[in-house]
Amino acid sequence: MGNKPPFGPSALDLDLSRRDVLKIMGYSSVAAFLAACSSGTTSGGSTTSTGGTVTVGSNASDPLPKKGMEMVNAAFTKANGGTVVKLNTVDHGTFQDQITSYLQGTPEDVFTWFSGHRMRFFADKGLVSSIDDVWDKVKSNFTDAFATSVKGNDGHFYGIPVDYYPWAVFYRKSVFADKGYKVPTTWDAFKALCVQMQKDGLTPLAMGDKDGWPAQGTFDILNLRLNGYDFHVELLTGKQKFTDPRVANVFSKWAEIAPYYNDGLAGMTWQQAAQLLVQKKAGMYVLGLFVSQQFASASAADLADLDFFAFPDLGTQYDAEKALDAPIDVVMMTKKSPTLSKERGQANAYLQFWSKGSTQLIASTAAPGVIPVANDTDTSGYDALTKKAVEIIKNAKRITQFFDRDSRPDFAGPNGMQSFLLSYLQSPKGNITSLQGKMQQFWDSLPPEA
Amino acid sequence: MAVAAALTRPRRRPQPRRRQLSRASLHGVLIAMSLVWLFPLAWAVYEALRSISDTTLNGYLSLPSQGLSIGNFTTAWTQANLPYFYLNTLYIAVPGVIVTLLVASMLAFSISQFNWKFNVLVLMIFTAGNLLPAQVIIIPLYWIYLNTPLPDFVSDNGLLYDQYIGVILIHIVFQTGFATFVLSNYMKTITKEITESALVDGANVLRIWWSIILPLCRPALAAMATLLFTFIYNDFFWALILMKTGDKRPIVSALNNLQGEFFTNYNLLAAGALLAAVPSVLVFIAFQKHFVRGLTLGATKG
Repeated sequence: MGNKPPFGPSALDLDLSRRDVLKIMGYSSVAAFLAACSSGTTSGGSTTSTGGTVTVGSNASDPLPKKGMEMVNAAFTKANGGTVVKLNTVDHGTFQDQITSYLQGTPEDVFTWFSGHRMRFFADKGLVSSIDDVWDKVKSNFTDAFATSVKGNDGHFYGIPVDYYPWAVFYRKSVFADKGYKVPTTWDAFKALCVQMQKDGLTPLAMGDKDGWPAQGTFDILNLRLNGYDFHVELLTGKQKFTDPRVANVFSKWAEIAPYYNDGLAGMTWQQAAQLLVQKKAGMYVLGLFVSQQFASASAADLADLDFFAFPDLGTQYDAEKALDAPIDVVMMTKKSPTLSKERGQANAYLQFWSKGSTQLIASTAAPGVIPVANDTDTSGYDALTKKAVEIIKNAKRITQFFDRDSRPDFAGPNGMQSFLLSYLQSPKGNITSLQGKMQQFWDSLPPEA
Repeated sequence: MAVAAALTRPRRRPQPRRRQLSRASLHGVLIAMSLVWLFPLAWAVYEALRSISDTTLNGYLSLPSQGLSIGNFTTAWTQANLPYFYLNTLYIAVPGVIVTLLVASMLAFSISQFNWKFNVLVLMIFTAGNLLPAQVIIIPLYWIYLNTPLPDFVSDNGLLYDQYIGVILIHIVFQTGFATFVLSNYMKTITKEITESALVDGANVLRIWWSIILPLCRPALAAMATLLFTFIYNDFFWALILMKTGDKRPIVSALNNLQGEFFTNYNLLAAGALLAAVPSVLVFIAFQKHFVRGLTLGATKG
């Protein structure tokens, strides 16, 4: 309400005769030419404008991220000559489910999204605008890993990375101190620790896979350690086959730790499994940094007791990559926004504003659990957990986004990999060859993506 | 009651003891059933009254260790901005119900009180429309909405898409079939002589509809209004597909605002869900009589 500008003229693009279309094209190219002549500052091809308005579609619907978004917008308004930011916040789940129709309808100028395959998919479909001009100006503020993460298949750039968080093995410091456990760095030490925890009456590994995606984190890290980054990425994009013996190797290694999971993992959400860790019933949990929110919901003392370590080495040549899942969130520019043509300058300025460390810090301070990505971010205020997260990612030579962001959504979803991994976890020692066959068969049965 | 009567209606007079026994077992079953139905609700209320740190530390199957409070309800009320979204729902439900009833009663009136050639066919088409699952037409509908221009005074973006009027319209379209079916069956119980004598007295058709038929149908209209309000109130689908602005969505979709990207405070969500359910419960209690009648309305012809 009161959130949408009236943009009546967009109603015109229907029911048009060929002649009308030509006429409009003529007018609009004249208009574009005039706009190009008259606009404010032009440097390096990127035009930014001050004042006016910019519309933003946001999936930051949790109370804290929402507040962070509003603070960033307020700061932008101040910094950009009073540009009004019209924010449309849609709850996270709905935003994600609706993204395809959203981008084809009347989206805002700028929207929040994820990097990886999920970004490239919409770039290939032509539903988002490339922002090479903006990127040229700000690229010095990002490392190569981040630059790669926002590059489309066509070599153009499509987003500004704004934050990320790592996946690792989480545990409680007090439990490790009480029982005299040491952080394992090798696969054998990791398994020995599991045995010891079981003797001590703990569930060694927590797992809650009701929603299907949490187990994909373990698949990712095992595949990265055993078969390397290149194979992993190729596998997830269909250039390698799931029937490959290297995939079988992932499942047989996984079977070595699968007996140490809690019972009933197929019916538990990640939050329920995380409670086992909070309640000191489980010893370790392979999950993303967001698990800290479950600890924070218990008490500040519980949160302070949370710690993590990188997934142990598996004794392959790929250990040196130290690769891990660290999903990156980005802001991008839509293509079909009815207001974009007149607000392109403000949208450019908005994206540029998001590329600053100071901006990203506003958001991540308001909503802990994610880490800014810009090089010029002031890291002095980070808490211990965040500092460690930065460290573990800095050590990683390769970064992946997570299975469901790196692969096509229909394959990663409930009918595909989610259900395959669930049935694997039901019987880790079962017939893996047949399961691999089903995975490949499912991949082959999917229609061409674009 | 009817069940009880049926159970205790054998030919010979039953032994008083047997009768007591069957009464007792009947009530036993009824109480058990009501407990089964009430349990999830009661549990939601219980968890909504507990704080999240309590359930995180002790699990959901535990006694409260930090006491019970209505904190979750007040947080849900403010955090999800519930009053605002209640209003959004009213914008959709009230015009939706009124227009549906007007249109459906007109239709039902003309096909039940007059002898047209295609009466039955029209009624069949409307009834068949009910059988069409809404999901089937969603993609073409989405594009129709996106490509239908509207003047600026009814639409702030010049389209049917992302507007209250669009959502109201589709509710009317989908509810009219059912409402027509029910109302026409009810109107068949009104004898045609009334219409005919009104015609003889010089009333025109609209006048007969408004001054004679509608007042006679009041019980049916009240029952339909109750049902339609509940249907539209509970709708999640249309507003989700045909709107993109988060701030315009009705209350049931606003509940999603309480669900986090990763972490969800289920206690808070339970409180929010209970609050969102309150209006339909109130409507039900207020119009209970009509609601029950609505269930069998039009089931028999007079």
